[in-house]
Amino acid sequence: MTRALPTPTTSHHARGSGLEQWVERHLRILMLAPAMIVLLALTIFPSAYMLIAAVTRISPNPDLPWEFAGYQNFARLLTDQQFHIGLRNTLVFTVAAVTIEFLLGLGLALLLDRYVRKLNLLKTLLMLPMMLPPVAVAITWKLIYEPQFGVLNEIMFNLGLPPQAWAGDARLAMLSVIIADVWQWTPFMFLLMLAGLASLPIEPYEAAAIDGASAWRQFRDLTLPFLKPVIAIALLLRIMDALRLFDLVFILTGGGPADRTKTLSLYIYQVAYRFADQSYAAAISLFVLFATVAFSTWFIRRMRLAD
Amino acid sequence: MVRRPFLAMAFALWSLAAIQPAWADITVLVPSGSEGDGLRAAAADYAKLKGSKVEIVQAPYNNVFEQAANAGQSKSGAFDIVLMDDPWIPFFAENGHLEDLTPYFQKAGKAGPDDDFLSKSLALCRNPYNSGPYICLPYVGNAQMFFYDAAKFKDAGVEEPKTWDDVLKAAKALTDKGGGRYFGYVFRGGQGNPVVADFMPLFWSYGANLFNEDRSKVTIDTPEGAAAMKMFMALRDVSPKGVESYNANEVGQALAAGTAASSINWPNWVATFEDPTQSRMVGKISYTGIPAGTKPGSSEIGHWTMGIMAAAKNKQEAFDFMQWATSPEQIKVSAERGNPPVRTSTFTDPELTKQEKFRHYPVLMNAIQASTPRPRHPKWPEIENAFGIELSKAVAGTQTPEEALKNAQAAVEKIAGTK
Repeated sequence: MTRALPTPTTSHHARGSGLEQWVERHLRILMLAPAMIVLLALTIFPSAYMLIAAVTRISPNPDLPWEFAGYQNFARLLTDQQFHIGLRNTLVFTVAAVTIEFLLGLGLALLLDRYVRKLNLLKTLLMLPMMLPPVAVAITWKLIYEPQFGVLNEIMFNLGLPPQAWAGDARLAMLSVIIADVWQWTPFMFLLMLAGLASLPIEPYEAAAIDGASAWRQFRDLTLPFLKPVIAIALLLRIMDALRLFDLVFILTGGGPADRTKTLSLYIYQVAYRFADQSYAAAISLFVLFATVAFSTWFIRRMRLAD
Repeated sequence: MVRRPFLAMAFALWSLAAIQPAWADITVLVPSGSEGDGLRAAAADYAKLKGSKVEIVQAPYNNVFEQAANAGQSKSGAFDIVLMDDPWIPFFAENGHLEDLTPYFQKAGKAGPDDDFLSKSLALCRNPYNSGPYICLPYVGNAQMFFYDAAKFKDAGVEEPKTWDDVLKAAKALTDKGGGRYFGYVFRGGQGNPVVADFMPLFWSYGANLFNEDRSKVTIDTPEGAAAMKMFMALRDVSPKGVESYNANEVGQALAAGTAASSINWPNWVATFEDPTQSRMVGKISYTGIPAGTKPGSSEIGHWTMGIMAAAKNKQEAFDFMQWATSPEQIKVSAERGNPPVRTSTFTDPELTKQEKFRHYPVLMNAIQASTPRPRHPKWPEIENAFGIELSKAVAGTQTPEEALKNAQAAVEKIAGTK
């Protein structure tokens, strides 16, 4: 391949040469630019928009100007009963679901790691619920819980037990949501715990066995401390996810009955899209964001994950 | 070597993005389900007939409102036409999202829609209700009817339920006999829109209303409201367990499976009940108007209407399509595709009324003409949500019916700013 040398006397060629040199010099930045623009558009712009929306009053009427509202949208959080109900339900769900998932996940991992290490098919089957889309899980459990035609009540009826309304009963609705979530996300805990157990050193256990330590002592004094970083990360990920619960309650209960399963995410959705109050929805979202960040920071320090 | 293909690809992508709006002459946002399917089929016919490109965007019920509200608020012009549920009209109209159709009618040499449309259907499409300019055209003529198993009701000593007392009498007898597997009545008790939709006809039948005439006062916690609530709770007690979470599907399935004898329901369920592949009750379900309480019964009207977005890109084409789709010929085609009509000529067309699947048409036409619209308030979604929470609590038994009325009164007053 041969290329004609640029003629220095013509300005056109000089510009072309300059452009090519500039492109050559900045090629790395140019190649990165699209990804950086997309990243900025997906993170910086929405965050800035949310911040601005939270301190303004945005009318659904596009011809009305935005008004500065200061802290008013945040002050509303203090007196909004629906927000308090959403916050309480979210916390109840998070604590209950994550605790059960952790205990079951750890228990299953200990069981499979020690006794049935070779049964890969069983491990794969146990992980299946986690791979399903949450919408499919919600619809499946909606059908299971269906009071008249659902399989759960059919079993209860055949056993001579009184059928229940499950997701339709104010006393059982939250429990029904928790059961569905535990079914889907226990495998996630199981997977992380299993990976953690597989990486444990064998020597301390041999030494403990020689010293006559019981299985419980070995679990309490060796397994749990060794697993601490894995447990902390698993809990942190699940807590952050549980605090955002939306799809399961949206499909399974719609937040009812009697507001018993209304979560903060569901309430934010209603405020933003059903009531067209974007400013207040932004204020609630910011509250959730800061609360989650504050909790995560505290949790990471407490568990000394940074070390 | 890398630069030129990279730049060429970027240019190609930009070109594709730039020509995207030219793919369709008009874009129509419609809901999932029979209403949206009907308009989708009509759009395909129109495209063949006129050579226009009509793009249909179909979304679940709630998402249609959200997408239309977003498009209206941002003036994006993403949609030319929106197929709206009628309670959304005040929100879209009063926030400037909808085009006034008056100039388009004038240009077509008309004063407005012709008088073959049912008057109650047309009243919905004016803002303010029944008096302002037209901002939409009715397309699907939904209004609630009372569905019941006539044979079972007869066994329970009620020939045709004329009043809510008749319904309760038959329903109680059937539920008592059903042994926990069969119920005399079933309703949508799910929090929010479902429970409100099935309570409003009762509320109106006992002379109650959410607001007074000029919307200056909330009138939920009244003796009339208490009477309606008392009957609602009595009906809950003869309904299946779990009715607190029921929506249209659960109610429809209970009737189609023959596990419940009666309910308030929408006419688009008729096709399901008369379809042997989906129903055990083919030919067994009777249709009548909403029973009376202390006042004549009144259905909740729930029409699907077509409006042009104020920021639409092709408004004249959109109007032409709407005119064509709501013409007598096309409303008949729409009826044959399963959507209830909005025109007298279609309701009384012998070609349709002689068919078994349209035997409910006389009842439905009367139901539309005797219907009541949901309160025409721009904050209706928020009001409905608040009222629906209190009703849900009463149905679930977490508060007394009296507390529900009192709390609903306070919540709606706060939203409407009447106190």
